[in-house]
This record gives sequence, structure tokens and C-alpha cells, in this order.
Amino acid sequence: MIDFLLEIGFEEFPPSLLKKTAEDLSVKVGKLLVDERIFYRSIRTIYTSRRFGALVLGLTRKQKPQIIEIHGPPKKLAFDNNGEPTEMLRGFMKANNLKATQIFTKKIKEGEYACGHKEIAGVNTEDILCEEVPKIIKSLEFPKTMVWTKGGFRFPRPIRWIVALLDRKPLRFKLAGVKADRYSSPNQHFSFKPIRLQKPREYLILLRHGGVVADPNERRKIILKRIKKAAEKIEGKLLYTDEMIEEINSTVEYPEVVTGEFENQYLDLPDEVLMAVLKVQGDLIWVKGTNKFICIFNGKKKAVQNVKKGYTHVVAAKLYDAYYYYKNDLKQGLQSMLEQTKKMMWLKDLGSLYDKAARLNRLVEMFKTVPELDLDVLKRSAMLCKADLLSQMVREKDFTFLQGIMGGHYAEIGGEDKQVATAIKEHYLPKFIGDTIPKTKEGSVLSVVDKIDNVVGAFLSGNRPSGSYDPFGVRRNAYAVVNVLDTCSINILLFEVIDNLLEMYNKDFDKNIISEFFIERFTRYLQNKKFRYDEIKAVLATWKGDVTDARIRCEALKKLRGKPDFTKLVIGQKRVRNILKDIKRIGVVNEELLKEEAEKKLYKKGLVTKSKIKELFQNRDYFKILNLLLTMRVDIDKFFDDVMVMCDDKTLRNNRLALVNYINSLFSQYADLSQIVIEGESQQE
Amino acid sequence: MRKDQTFENIIIRLKQYWQKKGCLLFEPYNSEVGAGTFNPATFIRILDKKPWNVCYVEISKRPRDGRYAENPLRFQQFYQLQVIMKPGPSDIQRIYLESLAHLGIKFKEHEIKFVEGDWDAPTLGAWGLGWEVWLDGIEITQFTYFQQAGGIDLSIIPVEITYGLERIAKVLQDVPSVFDLKWNNNLTWGDVYRQNEIEFSEYNFERADPEFLTSLFNKYEAEAKKIFNDGLVLPGYDYTIKCSNIFNLLEARGVISISERAKMIGRVRALANQAAELYLRKNSEKNEEESKEK
Repeated sequence: MIDFLLEIGFEEFPPSLLKKTAEDLSVKVGKLLVDERIFYRSIRTIYTSRRFGALVLGLTRKQKPQIIEIHGPPKKLAFDNNGEPTEMLRGFMKANNLKATQIFTKKIKEGEYACGHKEIAGVNTEDILCEEVPKIIKSLEFPKTMVWTKGGFRFPRPIRWIVALLDRKPLRFKLAGVKADRYSSPNQHFSFKPIRLQKPREYLILLRHGGVVADPNERRKIILKRIKKAAEKIEGKLLYTDEMIEEINSTVEYPEVVTGEFENQYLDLPDEVLMAVLKVQGDLIWVKGTNKFICIFNGKKKAVQNVKKGYTHVVAAKLYDAYYYYKNDLKQGLQSMLEQTKKMMWLKDLGSLYDKAARLNRLVEMFKTVPELDLDVLKRSAMLCKADLLSQMVREKDFTFLQGIMGGHYAEIGGEDKQVATAIKEHYLPKFIGDTIPKTKEGSVLSVVDKIDNVVGAFLSGNRPSGSYDPFGVRRNAYAVVNVLDTCSINILLFEVIDNLLEMYNKDFDKNIISEFFIERFTRYLQNKKFRYDEIKAVLATWKGDVTDARIRCEALKKLRGKPDFTKLVIGQKRVRNILKDIKRIGVVNEELLKEEAEKKLYKKGLVTKSKIKELFQNRDYFKILNLLLTMRVDIDKFFDDVMVMCDDKTLRNNRLALVNYINSLFSQYADLSQIVIEGESQQE
Repeated sequence: MRKDQTFENIIIRLKQYWQKKGCLLFEPYNSEVGAGTFNPATFIRILDKKPWNVCYVEISKRPRDGRYAENPLRFQQFYQLQVIMKPGPSDIQRIYLESLAHLGIKFKEHEIKFVEGDWDAPTLGAWGLGWEVWLDGIEITQFTYFQQAGGIDLSIIPVEITYGLERIAKVLQDVPSVFDLKWNNNLTWGDVYRQNEIEFSEYNFERADPEFLTSLFNKYEAEAKKIFNDGLVLPGYDYTIKCSNIFNLLEARGVISISERAKMIGRVRALANQAAELYLRKNSEKNEEESKEK
């Protein structure tokens, strides 16, 4: 049994990628060993800010031997008339060291052949690792990589050393200009002298001597222990999340702890601001309600005093700034910031930020019938929602992400209704796919209208997205619009909002371009909800602009498409579409002209269904509607089987076309079912 | 602290250190810049394939960061020590760390942390990956592997090391405020720059005339375009730098909206991209001529 150590050393890795990459690497190493029939006892993932790798114990020196079936000459040529091996077969036996008793015949694709089993000795583990380990490293995937050396090798940060030690011997390979060897690097706070490794088993202990806790789980435990110990002396609630601990764990090699503090006056700042300051200054952990923070740092205990001084100082300087902005902002007040927005251009030729707020303030009136919504609150928050962009706090880049949040605080302190403050706070949500959705009705409507206005504004000012060009995040905005409308069940016709907006702008612009864009984003949204492209296309073909409504229709469609009747119905709809495609004028059905039994029956069925579904549409019971429509299937099929639509008699023909159209209109109230792809048809996207 | 750890001695020591590492000692650019990266000794010289190692102090103007001399760590103007090594040596991180040791920083008594910081200068069409280097939580250096400049993928990757000199000096001298830094044994940083900070803060935030600045921006931009059309890289780039500075002033004055901001940045970037392309084109022509002569 032998051991294997792989350690890739680099300049400090992006913390958010570290854990995942290290785990990927050891999974891949483990899989390689299994695939290559190399036994191992245990595999351990290692990583710190400057290295990751895998420590594998108890490997076999060689692959397990493999027995494979080999094919000799065809049976006809392998044996003579007496069933004795021919010259040809004997040659095969000799070449493969097989006795006559080991030969069997077997039918394979090409015919019946004389076959044997052959044992292939295992290849040395060393050879396999030399060959495959560089490939594994190259196969790691990252969202963002860089080049640092000639040859153009890409990795998130420069690779500076590689340890690949199989027992006592380094593997021979080179990657990104670095030769694999037996030298690791200590924590640079402890020493620069490379650590010489004799064998993998001494890795963890020698690294520990060099100021590196290479095992992430062990390091995490130390971090938590140190935080808790430091917090023992402080009365307050520790504010940290698992993500924060993981972030810290990914930035240190040897965790030490120190407690710092700031002046009490800064506790006047909103919690969000305090936490933002402590976060940007190095993932410092706030003990809520106190002026203390806990800092995990990388280095030696001897550094405690300097580290404490340094962090205390930067936190103080940052809080000083934040406090300075905050007090100035409060002194100025949101109303005065609002006045200033008149001078702040929003988008070229589209007026000021104030104009935007005023526009939203008018636009939200469309939503007055939304249940549980306070229109006065909504109108006021619309007016105020952009004012904080003129606050000093939000204009500072470290705090820009507090836009809305600060506006909310300033509104509340300035005496506005608490609901107004909440709506302002919420209206930037969701900031990304998967982000929180506003909780209040006013917040969600404001979020929606603001984003629709962003999209329309971008189109009007010539900034529509194309390819990777989307400087105003128009795609994200449009996606968020349909997401919020759907999640909060706000029943409004999106296209009407767009119409109203365009009217307010009073600009000549083809509104279909914007509508199409929203339909495209909505399609993406529904795809992410796991609806199939053809289901979405069918529903959106007859869509009036109510987001939730369309989603519910898709759901019913998805549920029912498995039914046997459904496919036949879709085939019928496709026929209908073809028949109606070139017809320009279609009248109404004249009942007296219905001659055949099948057409009479279909018409009657249509009338009954229409009256039945009318009420269901009001209740949006799309599942029942679709079920009812499905029951027409038999009559439709019968009609097409028995009745000749395109008959010679013009009057009859027109009446039948009118009937087809009438039935079709029942369906298209729901969706254009002819868009549904049925098996055998190719789906286009 | 060592007695002779004055601001000016720190600068001298760093320059000597990098001189020994093979850097040409250069001087600041003669026009207002936001960072040493704007100096043609960086922006222009990193574009081509020739090795280039240089070290210089740059006076960086950041109008938005002025605090009327009231914040101990923020000012509208400070000193950077800029190092470019192209190509970057494979032990560049250690070379950098040893420059800190050369200044008397003992690693056992401090935390030196490389904090992920992808760097980009949107007005220069430049970006790179690297870190902010924190000394006990205080950012003292930006360490970057450039990937692109002037919108062009760099064929030889340079390392840019930018020291914040005031911040390093503050830690080394262990003073609460940069204004208390000893520049030499008689004068402090505050003696030299306090009035400068107060007056420029007031100018940048309150007095600068947006209309005047906007018209300058437009004129500089037009001039740059014209010069580029005449085939001159460096004078055109000079006006590009001026546009960038005017943009910074307008931004500090708070008169550009977020979306207008994006557009102005785009306009400066277009000039920087033009400078980069023109430089490379002229130089490849020059190289061809030279190789023909040989």
C-alpha cells in the first residue's frame, strides 16, 4: 500500500470558488482511481487560501489486473473438418498464450468467432497518475480565469507550485510551466522556506508546523472555537452565518482571533450600514447591540496588537464616513433630496430622476383595484423612491447597494408613514434571479412599475440589449417584472402598463418591440418554471398580458397533455389551423345550413361548451376549462371524418368554415393548441 | 518605528528596492490622473510585446474622496508608488512581500492579507485580476495581473503593483492620522497638504462649474479624436487623460446620473481604445520597417 498527495499551490484563490473547486478536485481524483481499478482506503480534501488538493491513503501500486475477451479467427477458419484447431487458430493461441481448452466460440456482430480470455496486467498507479492528474486539473471549471504566463494556461489565479507525491516519489509532470515536486509552501507569516515532504503521510503535521491548517474542517472548528471564546466576554448576540464562516475559512491558513471596537455613537447607524461596514472591512463579525466586533485573521498570535489596532482604525475611518453621510443626509431630509432629483438627469432626453418618480406616481394609479393595496401609500412611495440616490450614503460606492434601504430609513425618520418606508426599502427587489421578492403589495407594485419604466426608458434612449451588451440590465429588469407579478399574483395587463407609459413619454416608438421583449423574458421565466417551450408558445400566442393568468394556463396544459385525447385534439387543431390559414373572410354559423349529423352535433356541443366555460374563465379554473374542451374531441374528429368542409357548394362550404372557426375560437380563448408539438414532429426553438 | 522612517525615506527605499529588481525609475505624468495606470509608462507600455519594468510615484487625484481634511484616511489627492513588471516574474508575490520587509515590516507581527479584488478601469478599457493587499486590515497595495488594456487582450501579462504610500507610512510611523505623518523630520503631511485638501474639497464638491467642465470635456474629446485621426498617439492620449479627469470632477460635483455616467465612461473608453489600437498599429509598422532595414 502506498499514499498519494496532490497539492496545487497558487497566489490567494477567490474565496467563493475555493471550497467547491477543492471538492471537485478530490471527487475527480477519487473517480479516476475507481475507474482505473486502483484501490484506495481514504481520500481527504484539503484547501486553504493558497492551496488545494487531495490526500489519498492506502492505494495499490498497480491497477487490478483485467480479464478481457479477445476474438480470434472466425469459427469457419479456426477449426478443420475434424474440429481440430487450424494453423490460424494455433497462431492466435500462441500469440496470446492460450491452451486449446481455454478456447470457446461465440457469436458476435460479425459472425461466430473463436475466442479466449486474456489477463491484462495492471499498469503502475504512478503511470496512470502522471498521465491523468494534469488532465484533471485542466478539467476544473471556473466562472472567471486569467492568464499569467506564456502558453496561455488559464486558472483563477497563478499556479506557483505543485506537490504530487506518490509515496516517496514525485510524479513527473509539468503544468502551466510548473514542475510537480515535493516542496510545499508554509504560511508566509511564518516563513518563506519551502517545506520538503518525504512522504504524503507527514503532510498535515509538517504543514501545521509551517503555520498551515490544511484540513478545512479542522480549520473551521478552530475558527468557531475562537469566535465563541472571544464572544464569551461580551454580552450580545453574535451575528454570523455559515456563509460568512466559510468565507473566512477560505481566506486563512492559520486562524487567530482578536476583538476590536468602535465608538458608541456609531450604534445610531442603521444595522444594515454597520453590517455593511464590518463586511467590507474584512468579514468582521458584529456582536449585535454592542460596539464590539470579532476579527479572525491569518497569522501569528504575536500580531494580535497590531491587527487589533489596524482593524479598529479602518473600521473607525469607515464608520466615520458612514456616520458623516448619515447625519448629513438626515439633516437634509428626503424631501430636499427629492427636490434635487429635478437636476439629476435620468436618461438622455428622458428627463430627470424627478420626472421618473412623478411618472411612477401617476402610473401606479392603474393598480388601484389590486386587493389589499393602499393607493395613497403607493403614490407617496413612488414619489420618494429615487430620492435617496441623491443621498451622500448611496452615492458612496461601498454603500450604493443600500439604495432603497437608506431611502426607507430616511423616510421613516423624516416622519413618513411606515408603510411608505417599507415600500421604498423593498422596491429594488429582486436584484438577481433567486433574490427575495417584496413582501408588501405596495413594495411589489412599485418594484414592478419602476422596472418596466427602466426597460421602456432603455429602449426609448437607444439602449436595448443585444448580445452581451446590456448596460442597464434591461433583461434582468424585465425578468424581475414578470417574476414579481407572478409571485405576488398582481393581475394587471402588462401591455396596458407599457401603453400607458409610452403615452406619458409621448415618444414615437413601436410598442411591439417592447412587448416582444417582455414576451421573450416571460418565456425564459416560464422555462425556468419547467414548462416546455411549446406549452409556453401555445399560451403566449393568445396572451393578453396577465402574467399569473398565463402561468396557470401553462400549468393546466402541462397536467393534461399526457391524456390520450389531448394528442388527437392537438392534431385536430393543427388541421383547423391549416384549413383556416388562407381564408380571409369568415361569417357566422347559420344553424339552418347545417346538414350532416356530425356538424349539427359539433355545433350543439360548441354552444354548450361555450356557455359552460364562460363562468369558469372568470374563476380562472383553467384545468376544468381545458378538460371541457377536451370533451369536444370526439365530435371534432367525427366532424372531420364525416363532413367535407371544402365542398363544392359555396354556401355550405362557407358555413362549414364558419363552424370550424367558431370551434377554433373556443380553443383560442385558452391557447393556440396547434403550437403544441406532438411526438414525431420536430420541436423548434 | 525606525527613526528615519519618514514619508520621503519610505519613497526612496521603495524606489531603491525596485531599482535593484531591474525597474527603470520614472517620474509622475505631467497632467492630472486618477491613478498611476493612466501614465503612458503603464497604459501605453503594457500594450506591446517588449519587456518593460518601471517604477514611479504618481500623484493620484480622486475628487470624490475629498473630506475637507477631516477624515484621517481619505483625501482627494494622494501618492501612489507604481511598479510594472512585464512579464511578471514567477516569484513576484514574494518579491513584493520582501519589499515590505525592506521597509521594516515584520510578517510575524502583522497580518498581510491578499483580498480578492478584480480591478477594472472602465475609462481605460482595462481590467485585470488580483488583490487588494491589506496590512492589518488597511489596504496598502493593489496587486494586479493585467489582462486587457484599451480593449485589447495583452499578449504579455504585466503585473501592476500600486502602493498607497500614505497608508503604508501611517502604519510604519504608527500615527492616528495621515495628516500627522512625518514627511521629513521637520514637516508633517498635514503641513504640506492640509490647505490643499480643504480648498480642493470645497472646489470639487461645491464650486466647480458643471457647464464649464462639460464644455471642456466635449472640447478635449473632440481634440483627442482629431489628433488620433492625424495619426498621433501620445498627444491624443494626453487629451484622453484630461477627459477622464474632467469626468471625475463632474462626478464629484454630483451632476451626472447613473446612466449618464455609464455613457461618459464609454466616451472616454472609446478614446483610450483608439489610442491603444493606434499605438499597436504604428509600432507594428515600425517593427516591420526596422526588420526590413536589417
